[in-house]
Amino acid sequence: MMSGNGMLKIGRWFGWAYTGYTFLFILAPIAASLVFSFNADRFPSLPLKGFTTDWYGGTFTDPLVIEAFQRSVMVSIPVALLSTILGFCAAYCDFRFEFRGKSLFGLLMLLPPTIPAVIMGLGMLSYLSRINLAGEVWAVLISHVVIALPFAMAMIRLRLAQMDAALEEASWNLRASPAQTLWHVVLPFCKQSLVAAFLITAAVSFDEFAVAWFVSGLNETVPVRVLVFLQGQVSPVINAIGTAVFTSSILLVAIGMGFSGMGKAKRAAADSPAQPAGGAVTNNGLSL
Amino acid sequence: MKQEDKSLQSPFRRRFLQSSTALAAGSALPLSLTAASSWAQSSGGQPRTLTMLAWYGHAEPDIVAEFEAKYNVKVKPKYYTGGDNMLALISQSPAGTYDLILSDAEYVPQLRKAGYLERLEAKDYPFDDYFPEFQKFPGHWDGNDLYAVMVRFGFLGVAYNTEAVPESKARSFKVYWDPAYKGKVGHFDWYLPNMGEISLYAGHKAPYKLEKEQFGKLQSVMKSLRPQVAGFFDYGGTFSGLKNGQLQLVCGIGDWITGTLARSGAKVSSVVPDEGGLQWTESLSIGKGTRNRDLANAFIQYITSAQGQVKSAKMAAYPALIPNRKGWELLGQSDAAEARRQGMVLQGHNVMDDIRSGKITFRQLPVQQSIEDWNDFWSEYKEKA
Amino acid sequence: MSNTSRRRWPLLLPPLLWQLTFFLLPLLFLFVISFWSVVNFRLEPDMTLKNWDFMLSRSSFWSAYGHTWALALGAAAVTTACSFPAACSLAFTVSERTRKLALMFLVVPFFTSYLVRVYSWQAFLADNGIVNALLSVVGIDGLPMLNSDFGSLVGYVTLALPLVTLVQTMGLAQIDRNLIEAAHNLRAGPVRTLFEVIMPLAKPSLVVGALFAFILAFGDFVAPTYLGGGAPPTLSNLIIDTTKSGQQWPRAAVVAIVMILTLVLTSLAAVRLAYGRRK
Repeated sequence: MMSGNGMLKIGRWFGWAYTGYTFLFILAPIAASLVFSFNADRFPSLPLKGFTTDWYGGTFTDPLVIEAFQRSVMVSIPVALLSTILGFCAAYCDFRFEFRGKSLFGLLMLLPPTIPAVIMGLGMLSYLSRINLAGEVWAVLISHVVIALPFAMAMIRLRLAQMDAALEEASWNLRASPAQTLWHVVLPFCKQSLVAAFLITAAVSFDEFAVAWFVSGLNETVPVRVLVFLQGQVSPVINAIGTAVFTSSILLVAIGMGFSGMGKAKRAAADSPAQPAGGAVTNNGLSL
Repeated sequence: MKQEDKSLQSPFRRRFLQSSTALAAGSALPLSLTAASSWAQSSGGQPRTLTMLAWYGHAEPDIVAEFEAKYNVKVKPKYYTGGDNMLALISQSPAGTYDLILSDAEYVPQLRKAGYLERLEAKDYPFDDYFPEFQKFPGHWDGNDLYAVMVRFGFLGVAYNTEAVPESKARSFKVYWDPAYKGKVGHFDWYLPNMGEISLYAGHKAPYKLEKEQFGKLQSVMKSLRPQVAGFFDYGGTFSGLKNGQLQLVCGIGDWITGTLARSGAKVSSVVPDEGGLQWTESLSIGKGTRNRDLANAFIQYITSAQGQVKSAKMAAYPALIPNRKGWELLGQSDAAEARRQGMVLQGHNVMDDIRSGKITFRQLPVQQSIEDWNDFWSEYKEKA
Repeated sequence: MSNTSRRRWPLLLPPLLWQLTFFLLPLLFLFVISFWSVVNFRLEPDMTLKNWDFMLSRSSFWSAYGHTWALALGAAAVTTACSFPAACSLAFTVSERTRKLALMFLVVPFFTSYLVRVYSWQAFLADNGIVNALLSVVGIDGLPMLNSDFGSLVGYVTLALPLVTLVQTMGLAQIDRNLIEAAHNLRAGPVRTLFEVIMPLAKPSLVVGALFAFILAFGDFVAPTYLGGGAPPTLSNLIIDTTKSGQQWPRAAVVAIVMILTLVLTSLAAVRLAYGRRK
């Protein structure tokens, strides 16, 4: 017994050390990128040449980079909105209705992320250039919705699976129309996953480079800009852009974690479906 | 079935949602930050936009800033790597997308035949100041009709790390096969300059005009080089490879890359070897269907003027030789060191002597074989180590 | 019944039409293009099999295919093996709070562009890079890592490891602790518990994780280009090269279709393996 415990302990320590190394592997390139973004040498190599903030200066004054940032924002917000709405529709259909070809429908909705980006890019470019959309911001927007929709659908579908089927029936019994039920019962139930889907799909769009590289023409987004730097002049601006986006994100992850800590009690209640959900129906039923 | 699903999904969903909410929240800050700056930016006098399809660097501030200020215009570039990439971009965009097209000279005839170029007026440009060799550049004219104006050029030979490779060795393409540099030889990932260089090494005086058996010989010579090769790199990859010592020899490039690196202190250089070298040439054309013909024309005039030519010679992205004699004079006055470094001096031995001695061949598309034949061989060559 | 069918159209149609128009049609169009020809650098509608014939009869296509398959399979195996111990640790030996924190760190890489991370790896893997500098301290001579299959693999693992670890950790965390307790009470050693209780129960997440890694690696062109030295080419490299080669989009389309078929078949096999008959 004792030796078994000892082994377990060793195994446990080994596991922790190993996990540490795994995280080192994952975080090392990110940390290096941060370090090199302040390195005076134009090429990332050791020893470091000295501290500079020039690359950040270069990043935030380069009109092409600024424009790319603006464009990425302008694309990712509508992409997130559209993907979330369409993703909700798809998820709800999958949850609520039985129809012929339902599995085909699900496949069509969820397949895009498994298609390599190069192929999506190739297909999108040849297709969109036939309908005169290639090289327009629209082309990026359309392709990104195709790629992001499945993420939104999957997340919302997971939330719907938590919903008690009796919830909607109760609402109908209270003479709410299906549309009213959708609006007053289903949507509020999915609220958190809708917000999450919106943000995730925005992030997917904000980081997608391959398809955008094919279809964006002159309208480059941030990651396309980074790819062009990588193919072209290779400058620490790559690290500066990466680090800037990264730090601001991490800050928000921390804030997000704070919020999720605060919302814990509330969420725990919402997660045990039967009782509080029933309460929600009564509330909504009254307000109808 | 349903029960089982739920037990699987519940904890999964909860964790997934928690992490994804935080993850999602994280993406919002960069978004809102940049949104604010973007709207602050968009006001002000509306400059016109001039679009340019070019190799990297041609629309960077060191080249276009003066032009932009003078005409209140914003030059908006799309950068490509290699002529085939350029053709792909043009063919997939509606006419009028690109006002200016900077292409490698050998692609001008293709562009013209495919109907992508506007006809130009020869009298608009300072051809009288050009060296005679460059006044009627092959392929730029269709009879008396002009379609492209040569802007700059350079030589391709052996690019080498000056600390690892002595210049005496680099003076022959043979150095690529030297066992001392196995795994340290890189290719610029474009069949045209590489196969041209090896074709020169194989003894073909006209490296792109090959009979069937000559093409066969070129292929077997190349295959013998393959075990030496570290990889195939785009501009950026070549750049960092030479700088960090990963590559000690690069086939298919010249001063346009090593000159830039040398400026930032790297120990690299290029020579035209004894077997001869190639000349790359870049020319500007106006894209069919442009809505900014006047501006596009003004830009070509700007960059072919003596002042523009000096800018072009010293371009930050990659330096080049210039065809305008008055440009040489001005460069000699304003930056004698750079003029000497590049061999653009009017007294003494200069690059025009190299061209006139027959050491330099214009890079061109394959004559007897099709582009696909050469490209297919290039893919095959990449495959077999 | 007709009532529900009437109700579902307003919800069903928008996503259905969107994915039909902008996902399925482009892919079908790619299939159509594979029968077209190229005249004077322009695509011309045609009904020819010569692109298929050309690509499929080339040995270089098949060696690229084999190379890509091997790399992707390697990436799936390496990623799965690398992440499993970490996932076990996270699922069984740390507190809920630590696990949450760790998962957060796994999500972090999604915010740094993959391109930036790959660029960063170059500095580690170069002959004069960080890893070799560290190795030379302990007396190991320079190892060639950049511009090789090893380099590509590092890229693939960078891309897939966080996701695979997430999937595995979630899968493992769902395992009923009572089963592990039971195995323990029946005197099964930790190794036996691992192989006979934990792994079978975690099979779906292991297989799905490996499948993700395979899919990501199979289609990625960044790692083989910037860490693998671009040679020998993978199928994604081949697609990009082919589009550049005299506008041969039809031939690139052939490569694309073959890749899609491969991925679909692999996914079906993996799903069957993961869920057995239940699905």
